Amino acid sequence: MTFKLDALFDSPDKQYLDASDLSTLSQYVSSIPERMAVYRTLRDQEIAIVQPIADALQQQAGHPEPLVERSVRNGLMVLRYAAMAMLLDDESFVEERLQGWLPEMVKAYETQAVDQQLFQLLHKQLGKVFSPAQLGLLKPSLEKAQSLMLNTRETVTLAGLL
Amino acid sequence: MVSVADLLTDGRLPGNYFAQDLYVRGSTELGLLENRRGDRLLAIPDPLLQAIYSGLEKETGQASGLVLYNCGRWWGKNFYARFCEELADYYKQPLASLSMAEFLQSLQQCWKTHGWGQIHLDITYRDRGFLGVEIWHSPFTAAAPQGQKPSGDLERGILEIFFTQLTGRELRCAQTSCTAKGDDCNRFILGLDKRLAPVEGMVANGQAHQAIMQTLMQQG
Repeated sequence: MTFKLDALFDSPDKQYLDASDLSTLSQYVSSIPERMAVYRTLRDQEIAIVQPIADALQQQAGHPEPLVERSVRNGLMVLRYAAMAMLLDDESFVEERLQGWLPEMVKAYETQAVDQQLFQLLHKQLGKVFSPAQLGLLKPSLEKAQSLMLNTRETVTLAGLL
Repeated sequence: MVSVADLLTDGRLPGNYFAQDLYVRGSTELGLLENRRGDRLLAIPDPLLQAIYSGLEKETGQASGLVLYNCGRWWGKNFYARFCEELADYYKQPLASLSMAEFLQSLQQCWKTHGWGQIHLDITYRDRGFLGVEIWHSPFTAAAPQGQKPSGDLERGILEIFFTQLTGRELRCAQTSCTAKGDDCNRFILGLDKRLAPVEGMVANGQAHQAIMQTLMQQG
């Protein structure tokens, strides 16, 4: 597991944690109840949050069903990894797990345009469910995932093989 | 209509099975490294690789490439079987119903996580019946003796048997560029035996990858 606080726990061979290390730790610990609340909501309302997005992509934006299905799959994945990253307070978790995977899937199935709309709708949906403070907890990892997915600069593509 | 609930039949959303922090584990009390299924992993030191190259060279001379190529085929055969088994288990579906994108992306991630460098497929020549493979940062050719001839025989063997089994056709593999002779990466061409036949001679003459591909394309 990757964890921002790992660096703190890595160092007993050097010295005891100093005041600022301990304050980092206590800030994280005191934020856990809120993080868990957000996590629970995302877990329990996964379908309720994502289904309207799928409907909008298909009905209003008129994207073909297989494309919407792929994109929604991407969205669900992003949401799950973002939720975990938020729980751990570590947006690099999103990067480590999704890099080399999700961007490649986006390219292979050519869902960039749909994904872009999906993210807009997702932000709107989350705004309805969470308070601004709660959104603030999710934002760093969601943004990380979004830039990872929509910034596909590697040139290798599998699309032609399909 | 897309139903999100249907997409999540058993609540699972398979992703990057070979993500490095998930895949490599250890049973440190036994002194073993393991993958996420509990199969054993082994870290090979660079000097050991160098020793294998130099030992083979000393004992078998010119045949050492052939020995390594055969080792590669052996390895590739087992690698293919295990790779497919792991993916089928993880995706909980027979491999045949897994999409090519997921399969090949898993191969790239698998390669990377095992520390074998970065593998990329080049499908530019697909219509002409050739598949290109690039391997960047290969630890195998980095440890091989530097020279004028490509020395990725181990990788050539793995790729040949891997794609032969994947496509169900008897493919041959030739190496057209190699870091051990100063190229930027290792490039391999896979194709049917008779179509690939001229490549060996061109490689032996020291022709570059691009020139070889051009000649191959002109032959139609």
